[in-house]
Amino acid sequence: MKPGSTALAGLLAAAVAIAFADSSIVVLALPELYARFDTTIEGVAWVITAYNAAVAVTGLGLVLLVHRLNGAAVLACGLLVFLAASTACALAGSLSFLIGARTVQGVGAALLLAGALPVLAALKGSAASGARLWTLAGMFGAVLGPALGGVLTQAFDWRAIFAAQAPVAALSLLAVIWARPEGAGDEGWRPSLRRTLVPNTCLGLLFGALVGALFLAVLLVITVWGYSPLAGAAIVSVLPAATLAVRPLERRLTRPTAVSGGAALLAGGLVGLALLPSASVALAVCALALCGTGVGLAVPVLSQAALDLSAGLTRSGTLTIGVRHLGLVLALASIAPLLANQVPRAGDRAMLKATAVLLDSPVGLDKKVPVALDLRGAFARARAGETPDLAEPFNAHGARNDSKLAATRDDLVGTIEATITRAFRPAFFLSAAFAALALLVSAVFRRRNVA
Amino acid sequence: MSRRLNAAQAVVVALLVSCLVLVAVELAKGAASEPAPKLANPCRPRNVQPSGFDATVQRIVLDGFDGAACRLHTTREELVLSLDPATGERRWDPPTIERALRAGLLRAVDDAERRGDIPGFVAPLLRRLVESAPIDQLIRGGIGLRDLLGSL
Repeated sequence: MKPGSTALAGLLAAAVAIAFADSSIVVLALPELYARFDTTIEGVAWVITAYNAAVAVTGLGLVLLVHRLNGAAVLACGLLVFLAASTACALAGSLSFLIGARTVQGVGAALLLAGALPVLAALKGSAASGARLWTLAGMFGAVLGPALGGVLTQAFDWRAIFAAQAPVAALSLLAVIWARPEGAGDEGWRPSLRRTLVPNTCLGLLFGALVGALFLAVLLVITVWGYSPLAGAAIVSVLPAATLAVRPLERRLTRPTAVSGGAALLAGGLVGLALLPSASVALAVCALALCGTGVGLAVPVLSQAALDLSAGLTRSGTLTIGVRHLGLVLALASIAPLLANQVPRAGDRAMLKATAVLLDSPVGLDKKVPVALDLRGAFARARAGETPDLAEPFNAHGARNDSKLAATRDDLVGTIEATITRAFRPAFFLSAAFAALALLVSAVFRRRNVA
Repeated sequence: MSRRLNAAQAVVVALLVSCLVLVAVELAKGAASEPAPKLANPCRPRNVQPSGFDATVQRIVLDGFDGAACRLHTTREELVLSLDPATGERRWDPPTIERALRAGLLRAVDDAERRGDIPGFVAPLLRRLVESAPIDQLIRGGIGLRDLLGSL
């Protein structure tokens, strides 16, 4: 390896991780974006969907021609577009501009991810080593996204999420231009990618299932349970931690066992999230750990199988980038309307239950009705996009000095959280269905013994 | 191929079993049932034993809400949330709510007298208060001894 190759490979791995993390990195910033741009839930969801759709479409389109292009040129072009779009996202003054910039960022990310594969292979000295580094960087980037975004949002604001990406892209671009990595040229025409159909289908379904663990779980913890982005990031970081912890186990399993075991664990963890009876961090952490374990077992093996070296590393890599993000987009498209339908109805039920708790509490009548009406106001503001402060109506009526009112407040907040937590159930079950489908497809993987 | 699980496979099996354990714990914690409380039928009497003047008055007002909700074919909670038009949609116009509330409160006073929760001489005073006091004062719990004395 040339001197400096290791540093360049590390920089590129960081850029790959960020491009994968971008699929979910803004989840924890959604409430802030919602308030900043005074928009709808559907509107703000496009900040996530636009990026993933752009990566999927660009990735799938690139499959047809990427083998004719020079890998380093594709990478440099991707880094340049990604850098410009990340800067534009950080400076966005309107939601439509941000969504547009996120779309361009997705195009840049697809080019970056496709071009990074052959360059990493050249830097590491073999296609297999390069593919392994690319796979690991991508997997950890994907599962670290929400936690990373949460930390940046809490420490600075949502713009920091995009501003922090620009230096990584800029440094990588300068390093690629300076190093001019060799061996990353035109791959030429290679045989069909049909052999990668099963692992890619599994990966698409597993990434769809990840919408439950990465997006829904984060929304639940932040917007329903009321944790700060930093605390939310700490809770969901159990997922990447479990993914990392299970690496030694994955190496000791046969490939089919790792894939089916991983898909089953992801499905099981999502069922665990679906069945959360209340706002229980302990149970959520257990379920997220199982999800992370599932990802750590299945994704590396499937990624290796999807990167069919005989069909061309760049081509097969580009296909798997497109399919993974297609899985994310399909899951987002099916889960978002389900959630949008369930949550407001659960909000109405929660409000009625909260009023029942209040009316039956040992609080004076002069406080019951006013607090109930103020709570309704807080719920109405929540529908308009604000994160509801359920304690405020109680505090305004003296809960800080009235122990009975304070106890009623805690009881009532628990009732509301438990009721709305259950509204996420169908969406979590749908995510689990994606993982269960991956498990079924993995049976084909086992039978064909692709691994 | 050996039929016995190797250590790595055994760990995977243990992890899968832990999924089942998690689900079992969640079901044991009530995941399958609707979170409490269940909204009560306002047309059925509640089993509450008030102690003291304030608790008795509170029970009369809450029973009054129940009576009004029963008349309007809704729940006590939905009725309470309909009292302030500024905080959400209102299903009934103000005169309808007021008529139902006064009727419900009068019925609650009758029931309290029958149960012996209030002395016989207080019941007519309360009825007069329910008929004449501003409805907003009644529903926000502004009934005190001073109001009763004022209604004499």
